[in-house]
Amino acid sequence: MEIPYVVSARKDTGLFNSKIAIWLFLASEVMLFGGFFSAYVFLRIGADYPWPERTLPVLPGLINTFVLIGSSVTVVFAWASLKLRQWRKFQIYMGITIACAAIFMVLKAIEYNVKLGHQGVRLTDYTILEGHLKYETGADGEYARDHRGKKVEQNNLSVAATAVQFNSVRYYKPWIDEILAQVEHQNAGRPDEQRAKVVLADDIVVKLPHGEAAESKTIASAGEPLSRELMKRIQNEHLESRRLNSRRRTVALRSEWADAKAANPDAKGWELAPGVNIDGEALEPHLRSEIPNVLFNIVNGPARLYFGPRHLRQGETQSRLRDDTQLIGAMISSPLVLEYVDAIDFQHLAMRAVERGIDPIEAIENSWLIQNHPFARDAWDWHQRKVVALEERLRADYGTRADGSPRRVPTNKERYRIGWKELAEKAEEEGGAGLSYFVGMSEEFMGPNYAARGSAAFPEISIPRERVGFASKFTPAWNTYYAIYFTITGLHGLHVIGGAIVLGYYLFCGRQMYLTNPEWLANRVEVGGLFWHFVDLVWIFVFPILYLM
Amino acid sequence: MANSPEEIKKATRSYLIVFGILCVGTVLTVAVATWYPLERLIGGHGFDTWDMAVGLLIATTKASLVGLVFMHLNHEKFMVYWIFALGLLMAAFLGALLALADGDPVKDGFFYSGPPEVSENL
Repeated sequence: MEIPYVVSARKDTGLFNSKIAIWLFLASEVMLFGGFFSAYVFLRIGADYPWPERTLPVLPGLINTFVLIGSSVTVVFAWASLKLRQWRKFQIYMGITIACAAIFMVLKAIEYNVKLGHQGVRLTDYTILEGHLKYETGADGEYARDHRGKKVEQNNLSVAATAVQFNSVRYYKPWIDEILAQVEHQNAGRPDEQRAKVVLADDIVVKLPHGEAAESKTIASAGEPLSRELMKRIQNEHLESRRLNSRRRTVALRSEWADAKAANPDAKGWELAPGVNIDGEALEPHLRSEIPNVLFNIVNGPARLYFGPRHLRQGETQSRLRDDTQLIGAMISSPLVLEYVDAIDFQHLAMRAVERGIDPIEAIENSWLIQNHPFARDAWDWHQRKVVALEERLRADYGTRADGSPRRVPTNKERYRIGWKELAEKAEEEGGAGLSYFVGMSEEFMGPNYAARGSAAFPEISIPRERVGFASKFTPAWNTYYAIYFTITGLHGLHVIGGAIVLGYYLFCGRQMYLTNPEWLANRVEVGGLFWHFVDLVWIFVFPILYLM
Repeated sequence: MANSPEEIKKATRSYLIVFGILCVGTVLTVAVATWYPLERLIGGHGFDTWDMAVGLLIATTKASLVGLVFMHLNHEKFMVYWIFALGLLMAAFLGALLALADGDPVKDGFFYSGPPEVSENL
């Protein structure tokens, strides 16, 4: 079947069909990205925290802008080459376009990787620390590895567990595996008789209702090891009991209502309600016993069980996982340790202080960090001197108003945030070695070079768990800025990949069409190119809005 | 749209000129935001000061050039303008909807002006 209007234009529209289609698609894309940019504006206006201004590395963003602009030119040149029937030139220009897409995505991947590995911690007094989490080390000084062979970040909550109690309905199956794997990992090298095991504490016996052949049924015996299968068996019995019991309670309640109605035919339902109740004692022999919780002991324990701070709520003697599993045993001190702190940010603390009518400088001086860490004290004093110098410079450059007040004062970010570049500058001023040009330039892409600059610039800080208000990597969970940043740039990145695939198809599989119907291929490339220009057009707005404002 | 070889060859020159303008615009945007002398000229930085307006103006100019020259909107058929304009209009409408959602109709009194007067007979 021949597809109509792939080369010639329709008389009513004046366009070939795929061009109409791509413009309809682009119109929907305008609405999609327009919606996200609107969301950005409203998130920024409505943010209840200091919006992170110019927090992304400008240089990779700038390079990516040039890359996309360049690719926009090459894709239009590729189309022009086809129109002029110059296949070789088309190949070169389209090849460059796809190479540009690859460069863009590599830079984007580096940027994402840096963000997703970077830790932010908001203390309870709203001081924010940024940096790199420390990994646990073993007695031999080597990095400790978990049961998956991964290094363990010092941001877990640990419990010396002697027993574990599962909620038989809500338990989360992967955490059974996790607990078993952690216990097994700690058993490595232990003789058999000292190996920790998670076993059922008591027999699980279900009392059966009157009328059954037996009085009770044993579901599992004490000492049975924890497994998904065992928990499933217990869960099934528990749910069976609940089903039967609820049916019987309903029947009993209906019967009570019928009796009450028969005794008082004129009474309203709401008048009778307080007196209508199930006779629990009479019903009890007809019910099955339920098993809401299941207790397992850790023999040869305690075993150290650890989970991320979002999953576990620590208690002195009993901690609770999000699925209501109780880890019974003493809490182990679990501070959050940043091996390298690369930013100290008092903007949020200052904002809160102002809201409460407190002098922000005084609030910062009294913050936990300044009071407890000499490095932070030192860095803050150094930063204050820099702010004074900046104020003088701004006064000299911008002048003053009629009332003597300066026309421009430092922004809140300049006043209250000590970023990694400032910390590096401080270390260099105090005698630390500077970095070579190329290593310094790599920092613009990869973030601070901890190994080269060392603890003189980026100190280690251990934060007691009770001081941690919120902690997260720089993911969408950290704040709404990163949520909208990842949404917009992620969606844009998907468009780059999608566009590159389509253009790559024309480049690598278009030869046959070029030989048989070159105008059709030119029209296809034009349509693909229109999409590509739109991708560039979106980035033209993304760059200043997310990177520069 | 350029279709004859002569027209296409002529158009490629304009593509290169636009490329140059886009590069200059990009450098200018970064300079406005980060280069102290320019920042001083325009007057401070931050979301609510002039550099934002200048940055967005340059971005809009760049986007317009991409649309007009690279996407051939400077000489397209009426149907394309109609579709694109409708898309822009709907995007603006979406923004307006978000603006409405940002306000609190109850608190701000758009649809609600306090409890009704209660009659004593009830």
